[in-house]
Amino acid sequence: MNTQLNIRTRARLFSSSFVTLLIGIVAMLAFGGPSVQAQTTAPAGTVDSSITIPIKGSVSDPRGTVTVTGNVIVTCRRVIDTTSQTTPALVLLDFDFSQVTGSSGATKATLKTYITGENHANEIRPFQASDTIIVTAPYFDSATKDELSARTMLVTASLTFDVSTGKLTGGSLSVGNNVVTSTAVGSVTASDTPIQ
Amino acid sequence: MPDRNFFLSPKASKARLREAEQARKERWDIIKANSHGQVSRRDLIKMGLFTSAGLMLPISGLSPFGRSAFASSNIPTGLPPSPLLNNTTAFSAAMPRFDIFPRIPVAALTPAPTAQANTTQQPVDPALGGGTGPIEGRPPGPIWAHQQFGLLPPAIAVDASVEGAKTNTTYNPGVPSTLNSGINPASPIPLKFHPNLPTQQVDKVWTYNGTIPPKLMQVRYGEPVLFRLHNRLSVFQNQNGGFGMHTISTHEHNGHHGAENDGFTGAFFFPNQFYDYHYPIVLAGRNTINATAQDIMASSPTDAGGLNKVPGDWHETMSTHWFHDHMFSFTAQNVYKGIAGMFNIYSGLDRGAEDIIDGVNLRLPSGRAATTGKSWGNVDYDVNLMLADKAWDNNGQLAMDIFEFDGFLGDQMTVNLTYKPYFEVERRKYRFRILNASVSRFFKIALSDGSPMIQIGNDGNLLPHPVVLTKLDEQGIAERYDIVIDFSRYSVNQKVWMVNLAEHQDGRRVSKDLSLSEALSGNSDDPCVGKFLEFRIVRDPAQPDISQVPDTLIPNPDLSNIPVARERVFEFNSGANQTTNDPITSFFGPWGIKTDNQGATLAADYGRISAAPKFGTREVWTLRNGGGGWDHPIHIHFEECQTLSRDGSASKVPAWERGRKDVWRLRPSGEVKITLQFRDFGGMFMEHCHNTMHEDNAMLLRWEIDGAGTPFLNPLPTPIAKPQGVTFMAPDDILPTAFY
Repeated sequence: MNTQLNIRTRARLFSSSFVTLLIGIVAMLAFGGPSVQAQTTAPAGTVDSSITIPIKGSVSDPRGTVTVTGNVIVTCRRVIDTTSQTTPALVLLDFDFSQVTGSSGATKATLKTYITGENHANEIRPFQASDTIIVTAPYFDSATKDELSARTMLVTASLTFDVSTGKLTGGSLSVGNNVVTSTAVGSVTASDTPIQ
Repeated sequence: MPDRNFFLSPKASKARLREAEQARKERWDIIKANSHGQVSRRDLIKMGLFTSAGLMLPISGLSPFGRSAFASSNIPTGLPPSPLLNNTTAFSAAMPRFDIFPRIPVAALTPAPTAQANTTQQPVDPALGGGTGPIEGRPPGPIWAHQQFGLLPPAIAVDASVEGAKTNTTYNPGVPSTLNSGINPASPIPLKFHPNLPTQQVDKVWTYNGTIPPKLMQVRYGEPVLFRLHNRLSVFQNQNGGFGMHTISTHEHNGHHGAENDGFTGAFFFPNQFYDYHYPIVLAGRNTINATAQDIMASSPTDAGGLNKVPGDWHETMSTHWFHDHMFSFTAQNVYKGIAGMFNIYSGLDRGAEDIIDGVNLRLPSGRAATTGKSWGNVDYDVNLMLADKAWDNNGQLAMDIFEFDGFLGDQMTVNLTYKPYFEVERRKYRFRILNASVSRFFKIALSDGSPMIQIGNDGNLLPHPVVLTKLDEQGIAERYDIVIDFSRYSVNQKVWMVNLAEHQDGRRVSKDLSLSEALSGNSDDPCVGKFLEFRIVRDPAQPDISQVPDTLIPNPDLSNIPVARERVFEFNSGANQTTNDPITSFFGPWGIKTDNQGATLAADYGRISAAPKFGTREVWTLRNGGGGWDHPIHIHFEECQTLSRDGSASKVPAWERGRKDVWRLRPSGEVKITLQFRDFGGMFMEHCHNTMHEDNAMLLRWEIDGAGTPFLNPLPTPIAKPQGVTFMAPDDILPTAFY
């Protein structure tokens, strides 16, 4: 027969040993048992670290120049592959932008403030002594909280790591415009004729 | 320099490509022999052809990863790339929307569905052992009878099949062609990944109904569905194009249904049989919360535009599911072959009609009832996207390497089973229900210009609050992210792309998240990084966009008054042991799960009970990644869970995971603590890694709810599927902490 079945005879469901097992289980249920508690210690091969990096800069925006200030909390976990000698170590990075705000307008009447919402940038990167990472973050009007009108700022992070301890040791952040090129937003042309 | 690149560059020398192709053919012969049942995976490992980690040993002329005669000793060979035959180019084919399953009266089914499996006998093909066997493959008897079948009788039916590739002549996208990139649904659709690529052979691609586009099932709360699925695959196991198993089991991921409808991995059925899945489509907690259906927030849309109240907790309302094969030890192969679809659930809250204003409807982007005449389920601006990486051979036929135990990666991106397509949109808001239907690949999605997207849902569930993001978090296999993109920021005739930022070197995990500029540069060794879906902004909307993204979507259920009955810990590791040897229910592989910090890491055996929570209780489970260099997307069947912490901290749960979920990326060396309830239904369910190569080899366990009263036994017997009829056996193992 060309299937994986029909291989052996099955034990009867209600054999005496099975009934014994049932009784045992009922007894265990009646008298209860211990609860298993999860351990929360960091697993082998990992090192956790975190730093707070101030951020300051400006972004050009149709509503005027937006001045960006605040702090970004960068959390890092260095992970060594405990199952492989050849797989390079990596870092899991989390950029928390929740303490970053922006403002635009020269007068009280035109003043607008901006927030970034709950955006985090999570990044997996190879572990190395230094790394430059370009991430993006949204910002939107803090008064209207209109997330649909959010725009994007570019944040360049230059981070340094201690290669012996695996910890994130320092870094700086710069804010820039999200420059949109023709690679990012194109135009439909005659050559885009569909193939059906 | 990575220790290996997964894919050989198309720019490699012809001699080098030829060498790699030859190695792939040699390997393919072994894969075929395995898939035809001539040799087992375990045998190949014993024979020394494979390491237990799944790598073919670098025997010259056998492994594509063997050292090349044409390269220095430090350069791995990589696999030959899947050819883009006939000058196929990216973004030259329209992305088809899903093909909506017809909903038919239950009375149209012959024979009529029954609570217990229909054991009417029929002749069994000699290739399957001959004799006679039941027409329905569902395990017989009261334990596998549809739970609450009398209370929740099916109101509509879907009659479908799994079969080999064929042309689709009945395509129903649910929208006019103007909203489907001009695709004429009346034109037959051959099964191709692109119009220029070859038609797939009947044994290479298997799908629901045997056709593409992938299928969409639309359901609503309070309207139970009978999904009759026929197995129309060949009776010959070796008619599989070299991979895939002709026995099947469909999981409605992640339905709150009785276990008999969950697609249990051991409840598979055979060619020429059918299986009736009964999807009650109920809110969790229906027997204890709002049991008399008094709360209008817990409701279902009527055809007339009103609402029917339904029992249950409206905070448990779900929206985006998918359904896929779950055949024990063959899920990766069968899903990769195409046995996957999506499943949209509609409710008073998530109506699929953005113009109905009644204080309940969230009015998410979808379409207007007044325009379409459909009071629910409009998909004009609510689009399902199924992302999957594929590979094909030199003839353009789907190919897979089932021995990549790290995880299998394709080198060509498809969306809705079309190679890098384009999709026409209007200048307005769209909702996209994005499913990662890959075998092992993680995605990280951004728009090519870095514009914000709003995430509104995670897995099956709308979030408590929308989250604005400039790139989505990594999306693991089986995770679903519902997002809203507002195309009004673009001009007509502009185009923008969806971009994948997650670079893989192998199937273990993402090796590096790239910046947008890095991903767009074309310099990545991973062919699936970069643009994969082109949005063409073709016109202003005919009517103003009145859809909304409210600040509050669906708050989480309040569990504060529900005691935690107990905690359990599941650790996902490599290097598993197998303590049982049942040839049907157990499987050997490099992966496994350690339960409650006791004993060994165990390879899968669906005859083993690893956990048995009491009916009606709540528990806290810790899911721990035990291996440093891996990521595992872990899926728990049956009821949605809340995420309590990541790596021991509640604050590390990001905003887009603060709703309910059913798949968690543990992240390398990571840990997730969740809480879940066990109510409404009973039976045996599963928990497993949804990197389906890990799942199949053998990172899967069975847990069950036994205390739901008659007819459930405690513990439950294990079904043993055969063409001549399902039999039962006692569990072959019960872990010591399962029942405490």
